[in-house]
Amino acid sequence: MEQELPIIQIRNCLLVSIQTELHDRLALDLQAALMERVRAVNARGVILDVSGVEVIDSYITRILNDIGKSVRFMGAECYIVGIRPAVAMTLIEMGVELDSVSTALNLDLALEKLELLQ
Amino acid sequence: MKTVEKEIGTILAGTISSITQRSIFSRMGGLAATPVHQLTASDRAAVMQELETSLRLFARSNSSQLIASCARVLNPVAGGGGPAPAVAVSAAGLSPKQFPIEQEKDIATARLEAWSEAVRLGLSKFASVKVATAVSELARNIVFYAGKGVVELRSLQDERGVTGLQIIASDQGPGIPAAQLDEIWAGTYKSQRGMGKGLIAVKKLVDDFQMDTRPGAGTTVTCLFRGEH
Repeated sequence: MEQELPIIQIRNCLLVSIQTELHDRLALDLQAALMERVRAVNARGVILDVSGVEVIDSYITRILNDIGKSVRFMGAECYIVGIRPAVAMTLIEMGVELDSVSTALNLDLALEKLELLQ
Repeated sequence: MKTVEKEIGTILAGTISSITQRSIFSRMGGLAATPVHQLTASDRAAVMQELETSLRLFARSNSSQLIASCARVLNPVAGGGGPAPAVAVSAAGLSPKQFPIEQEKDIATARLEAWSEAVRLGLSKFASVKVATAVSELARNIVFYAGKGVVELRSLQDERGVTGLQIIASDQGPGIPAAQLDEIWAGTYKSQRGMGKGLIAVKKLVDDFQMDTRPGAGTTVTCLFRGEH
């Protein structure tokens, strides 16, 4: 079950839409691929779209935070977009933090925050 | 009209002063003036919780007896001897559903099943996501630490309908050593693969949480989501 998540480039920003179940291997591959691409295209930002993710537990949170940290180490900013209201409320209740990434309501707003839409 | 205040007041008379009674009932908000037969399952749970806390505080020696009497009055049909638990859920319910957990893809399956079960039972969208998240955490723990195990979902019902959803995650894995448990509950535990906050997160999400873990023998986590009005 070899799979990898497609990384789409929009100007100098990288976009990944997470539509599938994340697991260790996939997450590490994504992290490595993103770091490579950030360097290759001098990306200013990385946007992870999780609008298709219906449940985010502490393990997925850890993965998102790890990706955020590594992207930040590369000098780019990592945005998580499309967190569903019920998911956000659940994360708050669980007391887990998404503190190594920035968030935006949707893709447009993330691009705006990255000053790519002007 | 047999309101909560009137019915419970009769039981407490002579033991709890009227001033204290008034403060207990005022803490229940609108529920005190609600007729007993109109209480929903979660109303009853809220009333009982308030009564348990207050009676333990004010009634001292015979508090358990009083609590049991109150539970009987609030929950006449479930009656019968013995002190009723705070939430009188009968495990009769619908047949339990079991999901074997052995690999990562089983986590997604169990989570989806839990979600649809929650929705089917009429839990809110938010509560259903909480159920799915808790199952996800517990199933993940099984895969990560025990290798294999089972997640069981039970819907709990009483004569008024569905009262909640019970999740039982069990495995025959290595169990959790006491020292590690201390770290887990203190929030200082660091795991290799996750945040080390899965169990504490589940505990915060659910309405009732029980864990039985024995080093070398396995772990069983039983938790309960109560239905909502």
